[in-house]
Amino acid sequence: MLRLRARPLRLALVGNPNVGKSVVFGALTGRYATVSNYPGTTVSVTRGRALVGAEVCDLVDTPGVNALSGAISEDERITSQVLERGEADLIIQVADARNIRRALMLTAELATFRKPVIVALNMVDEALARGIVVNAEALSTELGVPVVEMVAIEGRGLQTLRDLLPDATALQVPHLRDAAARAAWAHEVSGRVRTVSALSIARAQEALSRATRSPITGIPILALVLYVMYLFVGVFGAQTLVGFLEQDVFGQHVNQAATWLVDRTLPFAFVHDLLVGQYGLITMGLTYAIAIVLPVVTTFFLLFGFLEDSGYIPRLAVFSDRIFRAMGLNGKAVLPMVLGLGCDTMATMTTRILATPKERLIAILLLALGIPCSAQLATILGILGGVSFGALLTLFGVVLLQMFVVGWLAGRLLRGERSDFIMELPPIRLPKLRNLLTKTRMRVWWYLGEAVPLFLVGTLLLFGLDRLHALDAIAAAGRPIVTGLLGLPPETAQILMMGFLRRDYGAAGLFHLAQSGALTGVQAVVALTVMTLFIPCVANFLMIIKERGAKVAFTLLGVITPIAVFTGAGLHYVFDAFGIRF
Amino acid sequence: MSSMRLVSGSDRVRPLSSLAAGTHATVHRVQPHGGDRVDRLVALGVTAGAPITVLQTFPGIVFLCDQTELAVERAVADTILVKPAEE
Repeated sequence: MLRLRARPLRLALVGNPNVGKSVVFGALTGRYATVSNYPGTTVSVTRGRALVGAEVCDLVDTPGVNALSGAISEDERITSQVLERGEADLIIQVADARNIRRALMLTAELATFRKPVIVALNMVDEALARGIVVNAEALSTELGVPVVEMVAIEGRGLQTLRDLLPDATALQVPHLRDAAARAAWAHEVSGRVRTVSALSIARAQEALSRATRSPITGIPILALVLYVMYLFVGVFGAQTLVGFLEQDVFGQHVNQAATWLVDRTLPFAFVHDLLVGQYGLITMGLTYAIAIVLPVVTTFFLLFGFLEDSGYIPRLAVFSDRIFRAMGLNGKAVLPMVLGLGCDTMATMTTRILATPKERLIAILLLALGIPCSAQLATILGILGGVSFGALLTLFGVVLLQMFVVGWLAGRLLRGERSDFIMELPPIRLPKLRNLLTKTRMRVWWYLGEAVPLFLVGTLLLFGLDRLHALDAIAAAGRPIVTGLLGLPPETAQILMMGFLRRDYGAAGLFHLAQSGALTGVQAVVALTVMTLFIPCVANFLMIIKERGAKVAFTLLGVITPIAVFTGAGLHYVFDAFGIRF
Repeated sequence: MSSMRLVSGSDRVRPLSSLAAGTHATVHRVQPHGGDRVDRLVALGVTAGAPITVLQTFPGIVFLCDQTELAVERAVADTILVKPAEE
């Protein structure tokens, strides 16, 4: 393998979903690709460089595939294209040792590409815990290619994989065109190389797995999970940490020090206002980003990462399937919906795992309409948690009802099919602390890179508009809707506008407004409902254009905006008519 | 109940949806159905000869197929024909 090449050797990691391709990718390249415990974590290719021996190779991590041809979803098509376009000189098939039969079905399909292949037999430890032993040597003989036993998450077998890469050769297996024939071949070979004993030492895991998917225990568990999320993100993150950072750190020290420093070094009124004034880059932009939103997203990402890695989220699909079916979707849609709580933009991309265009469109619509992203969710918890539990229930009730009604209508009005609910449930696992911390660190880093600049741009925009006396004009223009229809204070107009730049920016503004006592409980519920239902942020909007085209994106915008405003107006009217107070 | 009786050959073939939780069986075949249902089930390993165990029947049907835990709606389970194991 060590010879002069015009370009680096290109390696592709291919395998069934949730077998650990991204873990192997991370170990070989030193770059982190998001690792979770559910099929569909990777929905686009990730590229990196890996050093094998003395040679630098290009490594590509692909979305998991159960098949490369026939009925395949959009993320599977991405992998199939990498192979069909000849973008890989060598294929590393990552296989789950427990599921060698399914891995072999894919191996049979890989054989048709006639590329050198090496098999990374991953998670041999988990297989062993379930009494499954795969004879790697026998498998290697059957396939005619090297097979390396691995526990990738612990780095076991990585060096052997590197060492054996030069030995990769074309698969010595029959080229079978028919899926049923491939299945029969895989069944036969797996029978020869695998022994399954009744022994199972993973009883606690099995009990947990059962408890989370059966309704009698599953629904109380879900309630508990939500309550823990409320305590950790809404109370600890949005109240304790935000209180400390905003009032103590920023309020008492950072902002005062900054003001002192600015006034000493650059004693101009303009500079003062720009940096530390009412719409100051430090006093508003940075304070919002670091003191209000950062603690909230960090606590959220930690807990969320734990849930992702435990394998819990896909189990929600089992009991939400019927609800989603009423909306022209199926239980699988629970994944993008729950991921939307992390970031609607990323979740919009995850809709690729859904089988039909109609399902993807409805899921994107519901994400844009009703799913609050992490920062927004936490500000909701932070503001309404302080108002009353009833206020919180009203908001979530209204938003969920609205999503259901819109989903139900979309399911009926849009042409196209709903696909069958067929979903793989990953094993329940105790998350690895290291992956959890790395993932959270990467996400927080990503948040800082993505959000802080936009927060500053937003603040600058507000500052400019304020200088031009345009903010008053905007408030005046928005008055008929904001004050008239929604019964909110006029300042809310600019906050709603900023919400489009970034939802969490708007939410932070609202948080600030609520703290200063400018919002009553009823107004907080109305404002947050409108903000939650309101048009998605710019990033999400651009992602919708990328995934579904500009026409769809603008149509969604045209549908969502009136829904948000009229729902808010309806709420205001009902609260007013019945004299409801929180 | 009927799986307890001794019946011969194809009489024992029945849809997955009719089995109680805890039943062991092997996949006989997946009934052809418009759309991509068969393809998707095959890709997940639901093919002739695969051993299955029913884990749960409500609200959806959850079963272990070989070593893969799968959740499907009832309509899908209706078209998966299985042979229950002899007790």
